[in-house]
Amino acid sequence: MAATRSSAYRRYFRRHIGFTVIYLAAIALASWQVPDDARPSLGTVLIALLPGLAVVGWIWSMGRLLVELDDEYMRMLEVRKFIIATGSTLAVVNVWGIIELYTAVPRLPVFFVFPLWCLGLGIGGIANRLSFGHDTGRCR
Amino acid sequence: MRNRLKVLRAERDWSQQALADLLAVSRQSVNAIETGKYDPSLPLAFRIADVFGLKIEEIFLRD
Repeated sequence: MAATRSSAYRRYFRRHIGFTVIYLAAIALASWQVPDDARPSLGTVLIALLPGLAVVGWIWSMGRLLVELDDEYMRMLEVRKFIIATGSTLAVVNVWGIIELYTAVPRLPVFFVFPLWCLGLGIGGIANRLSFGHDTGRCR
Repeated sequence: MRNRLKVLRAERDWSQQALADLLAVSRQSVNAIETGKYDPSLPLAFRIADVFGLKIEEIFLRD
């Protein structure tokens, strides 16, 4: 039933594209409505919150993929990617954070944690290829 | 864990994709199980046994 596997991926990509459209629209709205030096207010925080909600949507869609994947081997490959991405992100942000404590290196904005995690998914995909000869073909 | 999937498949002249379709999994799954890179769960092992009409221990062997 390869169809079941691909239908889980089809749903995932559909959701992912939907949240990407929302994210881009929310970023455009926030950039248009909120000046760079805006003071925190209910309005600016609410507008700035919208792109973050789209990111929550991406994370939710990844979680749903794990739930909906019927193929246990493909699910295992995805879970390995998640674990490698989480481990590598924790390693990078914590090592960089300690360097920040002791030296005057630039601060790493927390905004970059999720993109770093997505980069970790790519590393996980490479690890899957090296260990099993295949990957799920999905980077995010 | 070793297995006799490749031999059993050859006896029936099934491709990896044909077996994957019968098991409702991807071809990559069949390949990973066949080459010993992935040990299937007990429910999947039972499905494999059912497809071949054999007992699990006639397909999967201890190292």
